[in-house]
Amino acid sequence: MKYILLMSGTTAGVEAYHAWSKQDIEAHMAVLLGINKDLTASGEFVATQGLADPGEARVVRGEKNGEPVTDGVFPESKEFLLGYWIVDVASTERAYAIAGQISAAPGPGGKPTNMPIEVRQFATYESKSH
Amino acid sequence: MKYMVMMNTMKASEGVPVWPKEDLQAHIAFMMGLNKELHERGELVSAEGLSFPNQAKLVRAGKDGRPITDGVFPESKEFLAGFWIIDVDSPERAYAIAARISAAPGAGGTPLNMPIELRPIMSGPPPEMV
Repeated sequence: MKYILLMSGTTAGVEAYHAWSKQDIEAHMAVLLGINKDLTASGEFVATQGLADPGEARVVRGEKNGEPVTDGVFPESKEFLLGYWIVDVASTERAYAIAGQISAAPGPGGKPTNMPIEVRQFATYESKSH
Repeated sequence: MKYMVMMNTMKASEGVPVWPKEDLQAHIAFMMGLNKELHERGELVSAEGLSFPNQAKLVRAGKDGRPITDGVFPESKEFLAGFWIIDVDSPERAYAIAARISAAPGAGGTPLNMPIELRPIMSGPPPEMV
């Protein structure tokens, strides 16, 4: 079964991250890259991506004539997706365990960030059409 | 350039839309037609729908690294309903695709005009962080 693990944060959180020391950022990235490596080795890895800063985000609506109307102004409290992992695992518990590992990646001073990671299962055709 | 195109839904309680069957079929036919067209143009990387928010979980690492799950979300939380990864030549093309998705037919065939969030995908972490 496939899951997407979503890491989200606010603009303030992204700004705080940019202020981390170089060593803290390196240690954080090393753990995340290690998780990717482990998932690849276990055959559970499907994809992972980091998204560009929220400043680059746009919300688009189709106008009456179908033309795109873009908006880049968001409320302060809005949560933005920072990045995601798609995993193919044998159980829900395994998806939670991987999310727990990501949540425990080190932050400033090597302390786990304990970031909340949203775990969402992919819809099957059946659940879309009933 | 790659973009993640996100369709969000507001309510944790939201399930299958209570639209008449024909409206739901027209909506799904529209989405499948769009995916086919994007695939033929070589712009579609992937497209997935997620299961409903009532199955979403937030996971944090506890002190011992074990996952702690929580399924209670604030009323105001936006949930990802589905996403597309597209590879396009310009931001304008990404906006045009997002507008097409925004204009997908809803109940009674009226365009939904839902907001679609567009985020550039980073090619990878900055080299100094790896």
